[in-house]
Amino acid sequence: MSFLFTVLRQLGRNLRQTWGVQIMTLLTVALSVLIFSFSYLVYTNIVHFGDRLSENIRLIVYLDEEPGPELRKQLERKILQFDDVEEINFVSREQAYNRFKAQLGENAAVLDGMPKNFLSPSVEVVPLNTLTHLNRLKDFSDYLSKMGGIQKVQFGQNWVEKFNYTSQLITIIVIASGALLILTTIFIVAHTIRLTILGRHNELELLKLVGATNNYIRAPFLLEGLLQGLLGSSIGLGTLYALFLWVKIHFTTSGFMAIFDFTFLNPWGTVIIILSSILLCTIGSWVTMQRFVKVC
Amino acid sequence: MIEVIKVAKIYPPDINALHEISLTVSRGEMCFLTGKSGAGKTTLFKLICNMDQATSGLIEVDGQKMNLLRGRKLSQLRQKIGVAYQDFKLLPKRTAAENIAVSMEVSYKKPQIIRDRVCSLLDQLGLADKYNIPTGELSHGEQQRVTLARAVANFPTLILADEPTGNLDAVTTKRVMRLLSNCNKDGATILIATHDETIFRKSSHRVLEITNGRLKKMTGVPTVP
Ligand SMILES: Nc1ncnc2c1ncn2[C@@H]1O[C@H](COP(=O)(O)OP(=O)(O)OP(=O)(O)O)[C@@H](O)[C@H]1O
Ligand SMILES: [Mg+2]
Repeated sequence: MSFLFTVLRQLGRNLRQTWGVQIMTLLTVALSVLIFSFSYLVYTNIVHFGDRLSENIRLIVYLDEEPGPELRKQLERKILQFDDVEEINFVSREQAYNRFKAQLGENAAVLDGMPKNFLSPSVEVVPLNTLTHLNRLKDFSDYLSKMGGIQKVQFGQNWVEKFNYTSQLITIIVIASGALLILTTIFIVAHTIRLTILGRHNELELLKLVGATNNYIRAPFLLEGLLQGLLGSSIGLGTLYALFLWVKIHFTTSGFMAIFDFTFLNPWGTVIIILSSILLCTIGSWVTMQRFVKVC
Repeated sequence: MIEVIKVAKIYPPDINALHEISLTVSRGEMCFLTGKSGAGKTTLFKLICNMDQATSGLIEVDGQKMNLLRGRKLSQLRQKIGVAYQDFKLLPKRTAAENIAVSMEVSYKKPQIIRDRVCSLLDQLGLADKYNIPTGELSHGEQQRVTLARAVANFPTLILADEPTGNLDAVTTKRVMRLLSNCNKDGATILIATHDETIFRKSSHRVLEITNGRLKKMTGVPTVP
């Protein structure tokens, strides 16, 4: 009880003495958390969006001839040589015709009088539904089109490429802002604590002389780092949430943005960001103390 | 309480502040350390309270070898040694009360107990009205008394007072000496470095004289109340 009281009082003195720097630090931590969690939020939403779209992605390989059982086996083997896939469906001329007819519905009458075999037979390849597999979609289609007896290979080429490019860019931004977060929190907090320590050099020396233990001297600084991490990340995430609500209310109720179904970071993500900010800030203050508060 | 055995201190490059000094101060004793300016009194104090390490020789305080103490053990011993530094080492922006409280806070005394003790000490030293004044705004003599109050506040078993009366008038000197005698009566071992003959001339306590880093003369015998 007395320990806690003493530590808190000491912390209060530190904060009062250097409040200007403390606020700057707090804002820096908050800003880096905001940048990081913002790009992470965009990332999770993009991945989520991509997941939903990629459920419908399939490569359609149009064949010259209706494949016999021999050829089917051969095609299957060749496809599997390149990559594992979710499933392979063979669509015969007749199946293609029936499907087309079903899609036309009421207008099916236009097909009357057409021969039932005017559509090419095809193989539908459903790739495994993960980003790395999707990233190789183009290679996959190139590979398939080089096999014998193939008319052409079709998939949402342009779209998939653009999507892949964007998601890679976002991944890079997430990683970069994560690194930025780590660096700023550790260095800024370390710097602030160093200023506090230098500003109170005489006092710390005196404390050692009158018999303060290492814990007595260090605990307030560790607590200061912890507080910076907690408040900074909460402010950052709070701002992000406000921003998120604002965007959601103003943009996604109408227009093309409505196709996005925005979701916020899940509770675990939030907790992890807060905890890691606290950890980083505490590490920052600990590192400084190792260097500037000589242990007796 | 204090065992100093053949202790020498050489400041770099080759300032020989102490030459193989040996002395013993028993538990509960009060004694005076005198000598010309630059004789080595402060140096000896610094070694005894572990602010500085001896070049050679051995110092034991309360049965513990000072050169081997580290960490928590050292902190605990330091809490039991109250030092009134010749250069005060006060925090000028903090009030007199806060400065005195520091030595009690490090051993987690309750705020109420600290406040009572601080008031009582300020009262005894004639500083009752300075409770809330930053020490930077106090006179030299007042600062000196605050320093002494900080040294004795936490009821240490050993008190080292370096020139506690250097800037004080006769009446205030008496107050200071009365406080130290009271601490001694309560069982504290006390070592006082001083130029001021008036405070030890008539006393029955032992007086040690240092000259040029050597223990020259001892008058009186160890007296333990
Ligand atoms: N940090 C230091 N570095 C170098 N020399 C020092 C240091 N401290 C003290 N000395 C030297 O050691 C000698 C003893 O100094 P000390 O402070 O112990 O004297 P003193 O007896 O306390 O003097 P005074 O009565 O003036 O306080 C002096 O010659 C001083 O110059
Ligand atoms: Mg001196």
